[in-house]
Order: sequence, then C-alpha cells, then structure tokens
Amino acid sequence: MVATNGPRTDIAVVGWAQTPMVRRTDLSETQLLLRVITAALEPLGLTRADIDFTCLGSCDYITGQAFSFVSNLDAIGAWPPKRDSHVEMDGAWALYEAWLRLQEGDIEIAVVTGSGRSSTGDPTLIYPMEMDPFYLAPLGADPLTFAALQARALIQAGITDERAMAEVAARSRRDARSNPDAQVKGDADIDTLLAGEYVRAPLRRHDLPPITDGAAAMVLATGDRARKLRERPAFITGFDHRTECHNPGYRDLTDSPSTRIAAEAAGLGTSPVEVAELQAAFTHEEILLRRVLDLGGEVAVNRSGGALASNPIMATGLARIGYAANHVFGGGKRALAHSTSGPCLQQNLVCILEEDA
Amino acid sequence: MSTEPAAIVGVGQTHHKSRRHDVSFGGLVREAAFRALDDAHMTFADIDAVVIGKAPDLFEGVMKPELYLSDALGAVGKPMFRVHTAGSVGGTTAIVAASHVQARKHERVLAVAFEKQSEGNAQFALGSGRGASLGAGGAFAPFIRAYIERSGAPEHIGWKVAVKDRQNALKNPYAHLRIPDISIEKVKESPMMWEPLRYLESCPSSDGACAVVLTNEAGGTAAAADGRPPAWIIGASSRSEPPSFPGRDPVRPAACVQAAWDVYEQAGITNPRQQIDMAELYVPFSWHEAIWLEGHDIAAAGEGWRMIDDDETALTGSFPVNASGGVLSSNPIGASGLLRFAEAANQVRGAAGEHQVAGAKVALAMAYGANSQYFSTWVVASSLQPFD
Amino acid sequence: MTRFVENSIVFPYKRSLGPVIGAFMTGLTEQRILGIRSGDQVIVPPLEWDPQTGAELDPDGMVEVGPAGTVESWTWVPAPSEQHPLGHPFAFAFIRLDGASTPLLHAVDTGAPDALRVGARVAPRWRGSRVGHIGDIIAFVPGEQPEVDGPDSGPAEAPVTMMDYNASITYRNPVPPVLDRLREASRDQRIIGQRCPVCERVYSGGRGYCPIDAVELGEEQDVDLPHTGTITNFTIVTPVQYPGQTETEPFARVFVLLDGTDVILPYQPVVELPVGEVRVGKRVAAAWAPPNDDIDDAGAMGGAYGHLIGWIPSGEPDVEDPDLVNRIF
Ligand SMILES: [Zn+2]
Repeated sequence: MVATNGPRTDIAVVGWAQTPMVRRTDLSETQLLLRVITAALEPLGLTRADIDFTCLGSCDYITGQAFSFVSNLDAIGAWPPKRDSHVEMDGAWALYEAWLRLQEGDIEIAVVTGSGRSSTGDPTLIYPMEMDPFYLAPLGADPLTFAALQARALIQAGITDERAMAEVAARSRRDARSNPDAQVKGDADIDTLLAGEYVRAPLRRHDLPPITDGAAAMVLATGDRARKLRERPAFITGFDHRTECHNPGYRDLTDSPSTRIAAEAAGLGTSPVEVAELQAAFTHEEILLRRVLDLGGEVAVNRSGGALASNPIMATGLARIGYAANHVFGGGKRALAHSTSGPCLQQNLVCILEEDA
Repeated sequence: MSTEPAAIVGVGQTHHKSRRHDVSFGGLVREAAFRALDDAHMTFADIDAVVIGKAPDLFEGVMKPELYLSDALGAVGKPMFRVHTAGSVGGTTAIVAASHVQARKHERVLAVAFEKQSEGNAQFALGSGRGASLGAGGAFAPFIRAYIERSGAPEHIGWKVAVKDRQNALKNPYAHLRIPDISIEKVKESPMMWEPLRYLESCPSSDGACAVVLTNEAGGTAAAADGRPPAWIIGASSRSEPPSFPGRDPVRPAACVQAAWDVYEQAGITNPRQQIDMAELYVPFSWHEAIWLEGHDIAAAGEGWRMIDDDETALTGSFPVNASGGVLSSNPIGASGLLRFAEAANQVRGAAGEHQVAGAKVALAMAYGANSQYFSTWVVASSLQPFD
Repeated sequence: MTRFVENSIVFPYKRSLGPVIGAFMTGLTEQRILGIRSGDQVIVPPLEWDPQTGAELDPDGMVEVGPAGTVESWTWVPAPSEQHPLGHPFAFAFIRLDGASTPLLHAVDTGAPDALRVGARVAPRWRGSRVGHIGDIIAFVPGEQPEVDGPDSGPAEAPVTMMDYNASITYRNPVPPVLDRLREASRDQRIIGQRCPVCERVYSGGRGYCPIDAVELGEEQDVDLPHTGTITNFTIVTPVQYPGQTETEPFARVFVLLDGTDVILPYQPVVELPVGEVRVGKRVAAAWAPPNDDIDDAGAMGGAYGHLIGWIPSGEPDVEDPDLVNRIF
C-alpha cells in the first residue's frame, strides 16, 4: 500500500562519523554527540549553523533517566533554535524521519544521530522492560533468552546449525580487523569457538554482541546540495521499515516477514546490491536475514564486522547505514543497510543507497 | 513547496480520568484508535503506517512501548514509528505523521499518543526516583512569576483562565476534570502548590489517549465529497532550543516564536489575531494562556493577559482558546499535545459538538515540552486556501 | 581515575488488566490456564486483540487449555538474574499447551539441561498461594501432571483486575571530571564555573560544554565565582508524596544571580530563610557544610557543589531592580 507516486526529492548521505566503539566510556552521551557531530560536519566544510533540521535517536531506559535526550540538545548547537525532533528509536529511524522531512523541499541539510551508553546497566535487567508488561516482563524474559529460542527454532528447522553460526562470528571478527572502529576483532578458530560454554543454549559467547558505548552522526543533503558537498554522495533510493506482532510466541521465528516487506517496499529486488550491512546482533540473525533478503554469496555482508564487532545500541542501525554509504562513497554502485528493534527482529528497517544516477 | 497536502479525516479520544483501571495499557490506546478510525470510516486494514508518541517510558515502566503496542494498533506488516519530544510529543507525533503523507510515502496514517499515568507516578519519574522532585509546577512557577512581574498583570488573570477552561470542559464529554461549581472564589481559595500557582490553576494527572487519521489530498477531498469535512494542515513546525544559558528567556522562548512564524509563513498568515479563529494552546498552568498568546504574536508582548481579562478567549469571545477545556482539564501527558492538535482539527471540521466555536475555519494548535524548549505548532483550516 | 556512581530506579508499578488479561490472571488463581479464540485459533497467552490483524477478540471466547503441553523451543539459563522466576539454573521454553495454537513462554525446572528436548511434555507447578500473576506458575516440570507447591490457599475471592510490577534497575555512571573538580573545590568553599572561550558566557554546575557554540569546556576554562548574590526568582513547593519523596513541609527553591557575573544558579535550596521571607531582590550568601562532612549527591546543583548546601540571608538591603525577576537562566 505504498503511495504510487512515492517520494520525489533526491536525498543523499553526504557524510557520517562515529565515536570509538568501547566497552565503557567516561564521556557523557552529550559529550559523545558533541564530538561525533563535529566529526561528521568538519570534513564537509559545514558547521552547526548550516544544519536545517536535526533528529536524535536515544533511549531513556539505557541512560536510566527520564527525558535524558533533553541535555543532548546541547550538542546540536540549537541556538538560534533548530527545527528538531527526537525518536526513542535507533538513529536509523531518526534518519527515516529526516528523510521524510527533507522531502518537503524547503530545507537542504539535516543531521541525525544515534547514541547510547549500554555500559551503565545490566542488559539482562533492562531489556525485559521492553517486553509484554503482563506476561513476559514479570518473568525477566530478556533478549538473550528470545535470541536463543529463535536460534533453536532455526536449527530445528534445518536452516542453520551451531557451526554455521560460529562461522558467522569468526568471519565478523576477521573482517573487523580492518575496521579501526570495531571493538571485537581477530582470528578465531571455529572448533575453539564451538568448544566454549553456552551462555544460553544454543548460543555461546561468540554468538552474542559485545556491550558497547558509542554514538554516530550522519549528514543528509538534498540532491544538488549533496553533489556540491562531496564527490559520490550516497543517494537514498529506497527506505522502508515494518513491524510484526510483539510476543515472539505468536510469530514464526524461522521467518522475518517484516524484513521482506520492507525490502520489497525499498526496491531491493530491482537491481543487485554489492554489499549489505545487517544489524544482526546474534549470529543466527545474520543467517536468517540473508535468507529472507535473498542475498547470494556474491553480496559482501557486514564487512565492517557488523553488530557482532561493536554494538552501540541506538546507534548500531545508523552505523550500518553509514558503512553502506561508505561503499558508495568509495566507488560502489548499490548497497543495502538494515536495522532492527525489539525481540527476535520484531521491527525491521531497510535502506538502499546508490551512486548518483 | 512541492509537498502533498495532508488532511485530518478522523479524530478520536478516550474519556480521560485519573485512573482508567477499567482498561489495560493496550485497551486504552485502542479505545482512541477505534474512535478515530470510525470517524474516518476506516478500519486498521485501511491504514498504511502508525506513528505513536508518549512522554517518558519511565511513566508506565514499559520501555519502547511501540513494540508491545504494534499489534494492538493493527500495525503488523506496516511501519510503526515512535516519537518522543517531551511534553510537546503529542504535537510532534501529529507533525511526523503528516510528514509521512506530505512526503508521499503513505496515503493513510494513524497517529496515536497516550499516557497511562496511573500505572506509575510522574513526580517519581520526573525526579528519576529521587526525593524533593519539584514536579512540573515547581519548574515552571518561576517563569510565571517573571511573566506576571513583566506584564504587570493582576493576579486574577490566572484564576480566570482556570475557571474558563473548566467551564469549557463541562461541554466536552471526554474531559477529565468536571467541576460544575467552578468559580473564581474556588480557585483563589484552593491550596498554593507552587507559588504563585494554586492547585486549581494546575493541570490534573490523567490516563488517556488520542488518535488522528491523516490522509492525502485525494483522501481529504473524498471525505469532503462524502459529507465529512476534513481539516487541512496549512502549516506545521517543530523547533527546539537548549535547556539553559545566560540570557535565555523561557517566558517568550525563541523556539516558540520561530515555530509560530514558520507555520504562519507556510499558511500565509500575516496577522494571526485576525486570520486565526481559535486556538488550542498547551496550558498546563493557568498563566501559560497569556504567555503563549504572546509567544504566538496573537497578542503584543505584555498584553496577552488583557485578552483574558476582556473575556476574548472565552468560548464565545473573539478569539476562543482551549474550547475543549485544554490541558487544565485533561492531562494524559504524552497525549495532551495531540489532543490540542486534534481538537483544533475538530473545530475547523465543525465536529467539536457542544464546545464548537461558531464559524471556526482556521485553528492554531501548539504543544511544548521540557524546560519550555520543545515546541510543536500547526494551523489547520477547513480548506486548503482559507484566505482566498 | 574516573569515579562511578550507582543509582537504582525502583518503582512499584500498578497495572490495570482489562477484561481479557484480567480473566487470564483470575484463571491462574483457580489453577486454570485460559486462551482466547480468534477464528479457529486459540491464542495463549490471551490478548484483547488478534496479534496479526488487531481485530477485537470476544472475552466470552476464552477457553481453558493445558494444563500440560509440549516444549517447542528452549534455552538454558545457567546464571539466573534477580528478575527470573527461579533462583537456580533453569530453562526458558516456549510451551504449546494442549489445545493452544501459540506457545506460552515460561520457566521449566528440570535441574539440568540434558533433561530437555524439543517435544518434551511438561505441566505447571502452581504456587500454593496465588494472586493472579504469571508467577502463580512457579515453573513447568516434566510430565503430564500439574503440581501445587505447599498448601493450596485456593482461588482469588474476587476477579483479579490489577497487577503489581516491581522493576529495579541499577545504573552505574561515570562522574565527569569537571563535576569532581567542582565537588572538591566546594570542600574549600569555592564555587567553580566555566567560561566558554568562544562566546565568553560563564556556565555553572559543571556542565562541561557551551550549548551555544557546542564546544567542550575543560579545566583551563574553570573560573572562580563569587559567593554572594541576589535572589532573582523562586518558587515555594508544597510537597506531594510519592515513593522516594524526602520532603514533608513547603520548601523554597531560589534562583541566585552571582554578584558581578551573568551566572544564575537555578533552583537552589535556602538556609535559615523562612519560606515567607523569600523574595526577589533579597541578598544572599553561600552556606557551606563543614569541610570534613561527607556530602552526598543531594546537595545544591545535584551534587556539583557538594559542600554548598544552600543560600543564607546576608543581611544587606534588598536590590531594587524590576528586571531581576527575568533572570531565570
Ligand atoms: Zn560559547
């Protein structure tokens, strides 16, 4: 039911930056954003005064404080006041809002961010809060548990096995070696990985993402402005996100229909992509997403090391779009980025980036 | 601008109360959603995307509730988008939902905002669990003192607003506070809560939800042809400014003034007092009516209180404000902004029932949040070119 | 060395259940597990709406399922968290109860992971005393027969309509170095501000950056601020009670403009100044705790000026300036 005439304005990613991805930072979220916004703008010769619209993505429950995003306004240079918004979602959705806003054609440049300091709390105690408040949160049902249940469903269905999952982990760490921003990297022997203890059977430590503090900022510009700001801007030619019902018990965990619909609406199938950056925080999620998106062996998946190498929650998805943009900046034709939210890939976002037509 | 015109073709809200113990978290938002869909002659199947807004997740202890509520709002297989811009969030939710249509991404969008304050405690959440929480009243009282001193307004202005909005609420079947014998005496004798604000000059704490169905030009035109007049969005803006710095003026915040003029420019408004017929302004404490009349240049600086004193903002006055009873009568925090935007839409649709402002064709709505930093504003009209 | 502080967010939420979840919870007190019909499906646990379409489901269509069921997927929890239903290692499993179309997530208590497999049959172990909460089932156990743990206190006397939810999360946050500098300086009765090198504005409270210029402010930007000032604005708060509230009597919070600066310290406590005597223009001076007192984060400015406990009348005549009241920030 996508509008037949569709969005009309050319909008491109012209730059982005991320903070170092670390297990624990001493910096506040506002400081992370101060630095990363400056880092995204400077190479383009832009200042905060050039920004027409900002949209920040962050989460109070990660920070542990109501209205935690309000102090982040200090990082965007909102004086004089800015056209601005905030989503309690990954920065990838902040990008989506900015992309819609730029369609209106009255402004040219937007900055979006995603930020989170996951080191402050215990994820197994925080994340049950996002589950069904009657049936699941009171059991302390945490994301690790749901990921493990989905992994077992995939194994049971013959879609993957523990070795294939370990191979995803090993490849991610190997690829992350050439990514200076990655947190978990190195060579890993599959059999050694498989000899590890289960954290939540059938998941072992290597199937899980690290805990990461970090932030990302991205600069968007409308067509002609984008072409003036840099060579090879990464044009957003398809952008969509979809959700599923919440309780994973009501879903077929061997499929990800919302990813499929979002990819179709974003026009993934119209021509091949060379690279894909998938927000797969667990090894089996990459396997499932590849399958649902019908990505063949010729598509380079998560060359950055992916969320298994660094997982700055609320910025992980935006960083995926950044890495996909890097592919286009560097000479690539077409790239796919994916972000997700909720238990067992409840909500999925697909963004297609292309070189200038 | 090359954007698709957007229209509101359905509005719904819950009955607002201190405690809606009769419904679950999901049941509350569905109550508003179904009313809006019924009003639009639609079902979930007709909706392309859902945008949801609410104030901090700590209020109910449900993190990212757009996840739990996705199936409650019929969003399976559709986009579900979550906005959070503090107290202005309900307004921003409407604006972001409109953006989906204006960008031609979707044709029919459901915007929902809610708060179920009774599940938790806002004072607790505002203080992040610590003692001596000032509450919103304590935070805003100094701004109000500054307004009073600056404008030289007499103290009864606050009481008058408190009475007027509660009298309007008696004409709104969904309003939370219903005080049939409300009077100046009653307000001035109510306890002093946050000097200079008295108890009856303050908003209640409510459970409630609001929903709005937005569509494109074809959808709005079709509804009109079907005898269901839409409200057309002729201007919308959200602006923010930092929490504090030396010289910042929270009584006439620049973000408020700029958002207002963004909207006026889009709408072709040069004389807001003359061209706008009524306003739904976010007034959680009585004096904010005068403050925002000035912030939107409906009254000159220092003169907003005179419109109140002269009964011009009464339901039958020359510029009615908060005909619905406003935030002073119902305050489901996250929904309070969307209620302003929805009530303004109903006014220009001629669908406001007993609190209809006669002949309203152009209406302003605004919401604000945090330390008077986040502003969302729109103007809706009964036609796309109301000033031709 | 960065200092970290911990704070816990603990709140007893009270959830209203509505017709369907309420009936399910009431059923639990009766040792019955209810689902709800949607077309030819039986949704367990029951919702008010169909999880795929959002269509309203009829509460009269609630049907009993189980009590036994089949494990569809499971995982082992070797180190349970404080929120988990069991204090010893256990499994979380999707259990398809007999007669249900969808699985229920719950704990399975088998002692060891090797006792579990997909397809295993399990039945509930009920709590003896049940309140209408998903935890009325302690866990599922292998076999077909439900069990009751301890003496059975029977079903609820009235339908269950509400549920308690107690969440406790502890956060551990780094204290920015500027805040530690300010705290330490406050021991020596110094109030440190920071001057932005770009716009020259001075900020109080250890903010660490200028929001106008979006630049960070470091130790080299620290400046000493005066200890005397004038109240520009205030509020007197009548405390309402909520969990964690520490106040019982009306208390004042004042805005202090420091002498010879543009700096306002907002929402400051007062010392030896009755609420009735707080007014705009009143002259005040910093009041300090003894240097060796251990000051927690509850001091003025949320701990930034730990030993600055508030503002005390200086005895000087009031400042008469009609513009003072506008100095809020
Ligand atoms: Zn500066």
